Amino acid sequence: MERKPTGIIGLDEMLDGGFLPETANLVEGAPGTGKTTLGLQFIYSGITVQQEPGLVLTFEEFPQQYYRDAAGMGWDLPALEAANKLRVIMTSPEVTQADLRQVGGLLETHVREIGAQRILVDSISHFERLNRDRIDLRESVYGFVNGLKRLGLTAVLTRESTTLLGGDPNIGQDIAFVVDSYILLRYVEIDSAMRRALLVLKQRGADHARDIRQYEITAAGIDVRARFEGRQGIMSGTPTLRMVEAFEGAFGRPRPQS
Amino acid sequence: MSTSDDLASRLVDDMDPRLLEFIRARVNSFIKWDLVRFFYDNPHTTDTAANIARYTGREAADIEQALLALADSGILQIAHVSGYQVYTLTTDRATRELLQQFVLACEDRDFRVKAIYHVIRGMS
Repeated sequence: MERKPTGIIGLDEMLDGGFLPETANLVEGAPGTGKTTLGLQFIYSGITVQQEPGLVLTFEEFPQQYYRDAAGMGWDLPALEAANKLRVIMTSPEVTQADLRQVGGLLETHVREIGAQRILVDSISHFERLNRDRIDLRESVYGFVNGLKRLGLTAVLTRESTTLLGGDPNIGQDIAFVVDSYILLRYVEIDSAMRRALLVLKQRGADHARDIRQYEITAAGIDVRARFEGRQGIMSGTPTLRMVEAFEGAFGRPRPQS
Repeated sequence: MSTSDDLASRLVDDMDPRLLEFIRARVNSFIKWDLVRFFYDNPHTTDTAANIARYTGREAADIEQALLALADSGILQIAHVSGYQVYTLTTDRATRELLQQFVLACEDRDFRVKAIYHVIRGMS
C-alpha cells in the first residue's frame, strides 16, 4: 500500500510507513509540544526527499515565523518557495472554507500551479472560533477535509490542547471522527523533569503502533525515541512506576536463584 | 528657487524614476506602505480587509480604502470567494519586481528618508 512518509523515522515506523495518501491526519498537543514542527517536517521531507510539493496554510502565524522556525532546523523555506515547490499561505478559516466550496478556487489554483500533494493546516482549532456548536464544527471540518482530499492532498492538521499536562477536557472527539489518523503529543512529568510523549491513537485503514514513545525536538526536527518503560498513566501527564518497578526501586532487583 | 523647491529637487534627482513614480502614484500613504510591505513579506496572503486589518494592527475602515487603492493601482488583486471580497498580491511579474526593488531600496536609510518625504508631500 502506498504511503506518504513523514520523514520522521520513528513516527513512520509507528505508522507502518507513513500516512495513507489523500488522508487527513490530526496532530494534537499543548503549546510547545512540536505540532507545527512535525507538520513542517512532513512538508519539508515531502518536497526534498519525496519530490512532492506542498502547501502550508496558516490561520494565525505569519509566514515569516515559519521561515524563522524552519531555518533553525536548516530548512530553507524561502528557497523552496522561490523554486515553486512550496507556498506558505496566510488566510482565515472562513475564507478557506468558502473557497474550497468553489470550483477553481484560490487553494485549487495554488495546488495546480505547483503540483502540491501535501498540506499542513495550522491550526484546525480556528474552526472552533467559527462554530460554537459541536455538530456544526464537525460538519464544517468534515466539509473542509473532504475539500482537501478532493484536491488530492495528504494533510496534517494541527489542533491545540487547552491543558499542558494530562488529558484535555475539550479534546476534539468530534474532529477525531472526521480525520483518518490521530496523533497525540503530550508533556509528561517524570522525576521532576518534563519529557514529551507521542501516541498514534488511530489510523484508519492501516496498522499502527500502540505504544507510547518518547520524543525530542532537536536541531534537525522531531526525533522519536524508545517507548516509556516501567511506567503507567503516561498520558495523564504524571505517570507512576508500575508495581514491579516500584518494588525494585524500593528493595532492589531480586537476584536470580542459582 | 525657494528652499523647499531646492530640497525637493535634490530629493528627486538621484532617485530611480520608476521608484519615484511607484511612491508618488501607488504607495502614497503610510498605510499603503505598511500594506505593501506586509504583502511583500507574506506574498501568498489571501484574506478579507477585516482580517488583514487584524494582521497589521490597523482599523478595518482605513485598511479597506488603502487595499482598494492598491488594487486599483495594480499592486493587489481582488477576488470574490462566496460573498467574501479578498485581497492577494498581484501575480504580475513586473509589478512584483518593482515592489521587491522598492522594499530592498528601503533598507537604505537615505532612500527611506527621501521616500518618506515624498509620501508626506503627496499626503499634504
